[in-house]
Amino acid sequence: MKTLDRIKSIVAPLVFGVVFIALWEGAVKGFELKPYFLAAPSKIMEQFLKNTTRIWEATAVSGGNALVGLVIGTILGVAMSFILSRFRFLSQLVTPLAISLNAIPIFVLVAVLNNMYSITSEIPRRFMVTLVVYFIVLVNVARGLTQVSSIQVELMRSYAASEFAILRKVRVPNAIPYLFTALKVAAPASVITAFVSEYFGGLQNGLGSRITSNIANAKNAAAWAYVLGACLLGLAFYTVSIVLESLTRRGQSK
Amino acid sequence: MSDLANLNAVEVTGVSKIFNEGKANQVDALLDVNLTIAPGEFVSLIGPSGCGKSTLLRLIANLLEPTQGEISVNGKTAAQARLDQDYGMAFQQAGLFDWRTVGKNIELPLELKGWNKKKRAARVAEMLDLVKLQDFGRMYPWQLSGGMQQRVAIARALAAHPPLLLMDEPFGALDEMTREYMQGELLRICAETSTTVVFVTHSIPEAVYLSNRVVVMSPRPGRILQVISVNLGSKRSELTRAADGFFRSITSVREALRGTHAQHVASTAIRGAEDR
Ligand SMILES: Nc1ncnc2c1ncn2[C@@H]1O[C@H](COP(=O)(O)OP(=O)(O)O)[C@@H](O)[C@H]1O
Ligand SMILES: [Mg+2]
Repeated sequence: MKTLDRIKSIVAPLVFGVVFIALWEGAVKGFELKPYFLAAPSKIMEQFLKNTTRIWEATAVSGGNALVGLVIGTILGVAMSFILSRFRFLSQLVTPLAISLNAIPIFVLVAVLNNMYSITSEIPRRFMVTLVVYFIVLVNVARGLTQVSSIQVELMRSYAASEFAILRKVRVPNAIPYLFTALKVAAPASVITAFVSEYFGGLQNGLGSRITSNIANAKNAAAWAYVLGACLLGLAFYTVSIVLESLTRRGQSK
Repeated sequence: MSDLANLNAVEVTGVSKIFNEGKANQVDALLDVNLTIAPGEFVSLIGPSGCGKSTLLRLIANLLEPTQGEISVNGKTAAQARLDQDYGMAFQQAGLFDWRTVGKNIELPLELKGWNKKKRAARVAEMLDLVKLQDFGRMYPWQLSGGMQQRVAIARALAAHPPLLLMDEPFGALDEMTREYMQGELLRICAETSTTVVFVTHSIPEAVYLSNRVVVMSPRPGRILQVISVNLGSKRSELTRAADGFFRSITSVREALRGTHAQHVASTAIRGAEDR
């Protein structure tokens, strides 16, 4: 019964995907859509296979930026959440700041940063990814550290446990699922941020800039081939975050 | 040694507790409570909800400080008794750590005492035996039924062999059958370990079946109205539930509670009239 469900959950989306691509191909052929309007999947695949090395290079650049930002943002976010959970008054100062920073379209910052660094620098993009990841991780982990069961805290106090012992044995274990929830959101977001940051100038070596330049040159199918690369990269990041989560979950519920 | 045996397990003297004193949301939770509990005694606190049972238990546990009065546990201040882990505690929710196995949950208070691994493992095995969960040490709490989880919570509370056990409606969330089974188990465990128990409950039969004395409390501000001794002997069994003495004690607790209820209704009626 379980395996049947599992097969269903794999087969159903696969069938859907195949049917969707077939319809797409059929629509392009049937309505004789111009390639600059919508490229056929077969053409996109052709371009993808023809440009594999270049797509791979661009993927490595964008993916590298996303990864660097993801790692640094996670480390900073976790560190800050510890500080905030320790000093409640700080959290009252920082939370409104975090919210207002999230409210402004922060991609504008890339343009500013591009002006501050040399045109060949990857730093502005990595900084952007770091910032986006930082807030996602900070908000979630801080929640995990503070929203602990009051009974568990009372129990710890009844064992005469120090604040540090409560942190180590209750707050941190409680926050770990929150960290992985954050990573599941932050991993795809880091990829998206890395792409979009490329639209604001700077080096033209990543997936995002390749997509724009191909569109600008009316090479629609090639642009879609790079989009395909982008999808695969996002998927890879997401998959890794899920695998990491299941490795750390051990025998737990949910 | 004889000195220690003569020390009262719990001594509550002239204790009052006011929450949010002087503010608009002030609550007079307890008023001039006096209670002395001898070692090995099983004492239940019963009363309408909101009458301060949990508050009294938390005061004894030094999780709260009294506004007035003094509390001693084992002849020490409540604060010192907490630092020495002189009591164990269990609540209505088992409050188990779901990232720890059953065994690791029981081990937690021992870790905090700084015991070494070997000593801890031996004690965990002993406690699993005591609550009849020998084969469940490696399981996770969510793999256990509610009654089993509560047994783990009791094992954890008793792991450090504290002389005093504080329980706040520990069986409140269990079904009737499991509840009666757990009551029997608790009596057996306390007899085997000669632990003193302060037990908060809503259930009159539960209080009577378990206790040497039942403390009946009045609604806010919480006061001790009456302390009823239950003379059912020290060996209790399922037969006890059918004994005449059992019903007689139930009736006296019920009457004492009814008195508080009538008082409660009268006082709210008066307050209502004043409001108008
Ligand atoms: N931390 C607290 N702050 C303010 N009021 C409280 C607090 N804890 C309990 N109270 C109040 O004290 C009264 C007694 O509560 P409690 O001891 O939990 O009652 P019981 O356990 O008998 O139902 C209630 O009116 C409750 O609202
Ligand atoms: Mg209560």
